[in-house]
Amino acid sequence: MAEDNTTFTLPDLGEGLVEATVLEWQVAVGDRVERNAPLVEVETTKSAVVIPSPTEGRVVTLHAEENEVVPVGAPLVTFAVTVSDDAPRAGIVGKVPTEEARPARRVRLKPPTD
Amino acid sequence: MTANLAGDVTMRYVDLPPSEPADAVPVLLLHGFGTNFGMNWSAAGWPQALGGAGLRVLGPDLRGHGGSDKPLDEAAYLPERFTADLLGLLDELAVDRVDLVGYSMGSRLAWELALTAPDRVRRAALGGFGPVNAFADADLSAPGAGDTPFDQVFRTVSGLAGNDAEALAACARGQAARPFAADPAPVGVPLLFVSGARDTLATGAEDLAARCGGTHVEIPGRDHANAVSSRVFKQAVVDFLVG
Repeated sequence: MAEDNTTFTLPDLGEGLVEATVLEWQVAVGDRVERNAPLVEVETTKSAVVIPSPTEGRVVTLHAEENEVVPVGAPLVTFAVTVSDDAPRAGIVGKVPTEEARPARRVRLKPPTD
Repeated sequence: MTANLAGDVTMRYVDLPPSEPADAVPVLLLHGFGTNFGMNWSAAGWPQALGGAGLRVLGPDLRGHGGSDKPLDEAAYLPERFTADLLGLLDELAVDRVDLVGYSMGSRLAWELALTAPDRVRRAALGGFGPVNAFADADLSAPGAGDTPFDQVFRTVSGLAGNDAEALAACARGQAARPFAADPAPVGVPLLFVSGARDTLATGAEDLAARCGGTHVEIPGRDHANAVSSRVFKQAVVDFLVG
């Protein structure tokens, strides 16, 4: 098994927001995090949001300090992600993430009764 | 996401089972003025925190908000109309008792529900809430036009996607028509108050907690807008509900 570094940027938080302020990191360098685990708490002009981890991996770098304003698209976290040695890699620069099992849906979907 | 008819309005809500099925009392989350379940609670990481603690989460969009109907008549927003919706929802789901977690206006409604139906409420956690008048000095015939703290809140939320400024104005007037009173306090329902140290809308929360035999947890450095996603808040609530 090998590790690849992958950097996650501040996602578009919607409603035309262009930046967010880091309130509190929920992880530290060296932590192993699960996919969807709380990663960082940020505040926009509209609301406070917890961004979940997009991947399972080990935190290598946090690219912003707490109270720092980060533009959408700027680096937020670099993860070391484990890749299996027999994964197809030829011809691919970087890495195509392996799709993990879909998380169990917690929302019951039922059409409105009206 | 489901919707049901609770009285005169259709209410949208989510019903999220915990990650580990448990028979704990479900938690009813009540969002603040001008937001909705998704924005106030989901985006702030609450379903994950509560679900991870083995708790089932019920999350309505309160009338006038989110995916629920938005009447324009201020009488539709008296606190008792909201509590009737919530009791209707519990009946619909055949849930006898819940724990309540509110934020801001949702906390005021949690207090109201605990007063109205103490047999349906086990415990209540009230975030971002104190005995101060949230509408102080605001001209509610034209909310957003002035410069009071409420006018500023109104301007922010009335511009959010999916919100109806006219319905929110009616909601503000309906809420203001029944000023909060600390007396009587709910009987037999343990209360937890949680607020940011810099939250001016929660001024007096500590005294209110002391008056009604509750506890108060302060979140260092946070204000009304950014206390809701705090780990300190979530941990205090999980400890209060599960501990």
